[in-house]
Amino acid sequence: MITRKTLEEAMYAAMRTASLEMPPDVRAALERALAEEPEEMARQHLEISLRNADLAHRGEGLVCADTGFPLYFVKAGSRTVIEGGYGTLWQAAAAATARATQDCYLRPTMVDPLRRSNPGNNLGPGMPKLELQFAGDCDGLEIIAVPKGGGSEIFGTFYRMLFPSDGVTGIKKFVLECIMNACYAGKICPPALIGVGIGGTADLCMSLAKKAALLRPVGRHNPDPMLADLEAELLAASRELGLGPMGSRGINAVLAVNIDTALTHTAALPVAFNAQCLVGRRWTALLAPDNTFTLTGEIA
Amino acid sequence: MRDIALPMSENTARSLPLGECVTVSGMLFTGRSRFHIRAVEEDLYPPIDYAKINCFFHVGPVMKSTPDGWEVVSCEPTSSIRFERYGAEVVRKFGLRTLIGKTTMGAGTAAALRATGGVYLSKIGLSGNTLRGQIKKVHNVFFLDELGKTEATWIYEVEKFGPFFVAIDAQGRNYFAELAADAARKLPAIEKKLGISPDYNYTEVNAK
Repeated sequence: MITRKTLEEAMYAAMRTASLEMPPDVRAALERALAEEPEEMARQHLEISLRNADLAHRGEGLVCADTGFPLYFVKAGSRTVIEGGYGTLWQAAAAATARATQDCYLRPTMVDPLRRSNPGNNLGPGMPKLELQFAGDCDGLEIIAVPKGGGSEIFGTFYRMLFPSDGVTGIKKFVLECIMNACYAGKICPPALIGVGIGGTADLCMSLAKKAALLRPVGRHNPDPMLADLEAELLAASRELGLGPMGSRGINAVLAVNIDTALTHTAALPVAFNAQCLVGRRWTALLAPDNTFTLTGEIA
Repeated sequence: MRDIALPMSENTARSLPLGECVTVSGMLFTGRSRFHIRAVEEDLYPPIDYAKINCFFHVGPVMKSTPDGWEVVSCEPTSSIRFERYGAEVVRKFGLRTLIGKTTMGAGTAAALRATGGVYLSKIGLSGNTLRGQIKKVHNVFFLDELGKTEATWIYEVEKFGPFFVAIDAQGRNYFAELAADAARKLPAIEKKLGISPDYNYTEVNAK
């Protein structure tokens, strides 16, 4: 059985590490971009960002001071047993988030939307946000902690209800417009990981986009060849805009375009866009039924 | 790289070309949305000498209270464009000659900076941990209880703080606006390659 204490420890450790370490696949992609950028300013944006991550790794600060929205993506199996039942997940996430905030691995950034009052611990209605998904016949838990930065969420979220007659052309036009708007003046902190959701209801569509941006390793494509081609085509188009790191003159405003789809209404073609910033923060805790856990920067 | 003493003089500001990388040394104050809204809507702002502490750093730092006083854990410049509604008025009200932030600001703030003889400096990369080491002293904090650590106004003494680049110069030129115009000129060719015809429109379903 996985105990509440272990859950809290695992969530705390994953969130803390996500704030201190850049995932290896994201770092490798930034290094490839650095080797490619011809403009001095574009290279400086990347060099300074990589050095900043090195300092965080050595315990001198955070990968980014805007630790943003505290998110947990949890996958459980049909044989997973948790002390106190599944409700414990939310209790453990709240305790882990408050502790990470207290220890300065998370900035107290969550506020009441209208009163703007700050509880000081990132806890309140809806936060931290935990998404539980059941996946297969396993007895463990996968928890991915994501401190989702404000820049990429605030300036990099778009949704449009297209119609079947708008076709793939409409999707391409929409995504290209979103990239230009989101990358203007470095608002989403490019080079960005772009998630595009197509289909579903509005909320499912956005959830697909968000998970495609946040949880898919850089360089992994949609297994459907038609969607993989569309990802490659849109990434190539983004590289011709003349926009680079932090919105400066360059090539790499975007590191990846990741598309995921869901069935939708026969009358509809919803499309959602969500961006993740250059540091791509996420860290995984894998919990075993013997109540132990390991941390990893790799995505299964 | 040029290091500029704060408060920045008008002559220095007017001599800074668009795109130049600089560092700054001296005193600055911090703030974000709440500073802007309260200063303009409620005439409520920290009682500091804005002629001397004249550089406004857009940031919500991560601050840690220690037995020796406040420690800056990290301080990543925040997106200045959010403050554009109040940007010009804040520049005029406090006679600001240096703004430091992330992204850019709009035409209104650029015009106010042109009038005061000021510049907007934008961050280079993610630099919160380097900047942290260049803050020599945390002098004071205002409105901590009301606004919390992120939105409070902190007074920092900094040395060779940066680098930042001139994203809006004292003549009102905007680096990012010029770059966006270049990108917009490339768009038709990119759209053509994607098979989007110049007269393509999304299906319109709403009343005009």
